[in-house]
Amino acid sequence: MFRSTPRASGYYRTGYGQDLALIQTRTERISLAILVTLAIALPFIAGPFLLDLACQVFLASIGALSLMLLTGYAGQISLGHAGLIAAGAFTTGILAREIAAPFWITLPASALTGILLGLIFGLPSLRLRGLYLAVSTLALHFIVIYLGGEYETKRGFSTGILIDPPSLAGFKLTDGRAWYFVLLLAAAASLMICINLLRSSSGRAWRAVHARETVAEALGINVAGYKLLVFVISSSMTSVAGCLFAYYRGFVSIEAFDLFLSIQYVAMIIIGGMGSLLGALLGAAFVTLFPYLIESLLALLPNIQKFAGDIFAVNYTAFGVVMILFLVFEPLGLVGIWRRLQNYFLLWPFKYRPLTGARK
Amino acid sequence: MAELAVDNLSLRFGGLTVLDNVSFAVETGELFALIGPNGAGKTSALNCISGIYRGTGAVRFRGQDILGLKPHQIARQGLARTFQHGELFAQMSVLENLLTGRHARIGTHPLAEMLFLPSVKRAEIAHREAVERIIDVVELERYRHAPVGALPFGLQKIVGFARALALEPTTLLLDEPSAGLNREERENLARFILRIKHELNVTIVWIEHDMQMISDLADRVHVLDYGRTLAEGRPEVVLNDPAVLAAYLGTAA
Repeated sequence: MFRSTPRASGYYRTGYGQDLALIQTRTERISLAILVTLAIALPFIAGPFLLDLACQVFLASIGALSLMLLTGYAGQISLGHAGLIAAGAFTTGILAREIAAPFWITLPASALTGILLGLIFGLPSLRLRGLYLAVSTLALHFIVIYLGGEYETKRGFSTGILIDPPSLAGFKLTDGRAWYFVLLLAAAASLMICINLLRSSSGRAWRAVHARETVAEALGINVAGYKLLVFVISSSMTSVAGCLFAYYRGFVSIEAFDLFLSIQYVAMIIIGGMGSLLGALLGAAFVTLFPYLIESLLALLPNIQKFAGDIFAVNYTAFGVVMILFLVFEPLGLVGIWRRLQNYFLLWPFKYRPLTGARK
Repeated sequence: MAELAVDNLSLRFGGLTVLDNVSFAVETGELFALIGPNGAGKTSALNCISGIYRGTGAVRFRGQDILGLKPHQIARQGLARTFQHGELFAQMSVLENLLTGRHARIGTHPLAEMLFLPSVKRAEIAHREAVERIIDVVELERYRHAPVGALPFGLQKIVGFARALALEPTTLLLDEPSAGLNREERENLARFILRIKHELNVTIVWIEHDMQMISDLADRVHVLDYGRTLAEGRPEVVLNDPAVLAAYLGTAA
């Protein structure tokens, strides 16, 4: 699920409960501790620009994780993820603007919007598969964007809706550092929800539906029910990400949710590695940071000011090229590279890899 | 009362009659073989019973009419099946395949699963124990963590058999479990079939082409040919029936 199969030797278990534990070896415990320490220390070391990047990665991670659940595990393709983020953002924006709803109302309201949209746009999945399903989810995107645009023009917010920063228990969330921790927690919670679902009955049912629907059905799995369930869970998670996005930016406008955003989410799970939660996280970080990387690389070139207008084009092109390179040379994505590294160092400096499936 | 009763089951695809008024009744604990030449309608009959195809007539499982129910509802009643080509989940480990096969018996709520509440953990452990008992019956201990796609074909067939057993069915439908197995693997399979019949008291409907296995193991044999019943009875009687021999070997012109 989250890890590759070969693991350290010498760890023995005496009960099946121990087999369910997420952290099993000392190395894992130490790496997790280091990771948590780094994540907590980062906002005290990093400047505002780096903090903003981290926040963007966390927001993208929630969307990528939910799309991974839907596409990477349950096998249902969606091109409507930008629409779902927009739905969450607009629910938040409209409620905050019209009835001055506080954070603790807009967040569940966004989740509810996601659940409703997931139910409606999960229905075609009961009949359609693959590309046909993708096109039907595309409709979701356009409907949400249309409704959002209508609201903006009718109410005269043609440039977008401004939202006041949320207050949590009387504490106004304006500080970048506070935002960092809120979004880190939200991303960590989404990750835990995905891990937990995937290691229990629903996760197995989704993977079975992905592999072969008739067989899943014959094994006693309610295929229609589980398809709707994954759409609902994925959509509500994404809408919550949209709500957080709206507050974080303090501003909602339809321009932010074009089709390219949906493509970027699909790119995240492909570049990260299909069927892996770690892949969703790596992909989210990669796709979010990639444009900044290209820009800073271009800045190193001489006479770059003359071509300032072309940076966008270069960025899009580079993104396309990287997508193609991944599809051709590394279909397993970043997580494939990561696993190969892990396997290489597992018995390093010895040459032979352990037998696959020898022991988790 | 018969465990599984099929009455006048018919199935048509357009103008093609696949099953024509097939009737049989399987008693509790019986090992009932379904044989016939290729294209006789054996797998179609199984698909009708497990709800994948919808035939006409009646299928009663433990006195209850199951014709028209969805496949997952039928599986839930305790009627499990295997597939001719395995149809395993290649990416998943043997354990995960078996736990998926047990899905109908695991009733944890998705909301509880999101938080992996203690109740979910307890259920996962309990079902793991149940699945380990099946692994013990079919001797797959060595391979429990191996991804199924990496196992040799013979073992994959056994995993498919185990996945159906993981549901703890009262009746098991086996679709050519021995196809493609070598002699040793067939002997193992025969051992497992007898074990679940006698130890777990599972009723078995068994599609098979290996006449040796059938005459050694089956309690009763039902022969189909072009969707019609040709003969039914004890294996030593049926397998010597001239009509059955003619269907399998053809008649002298």
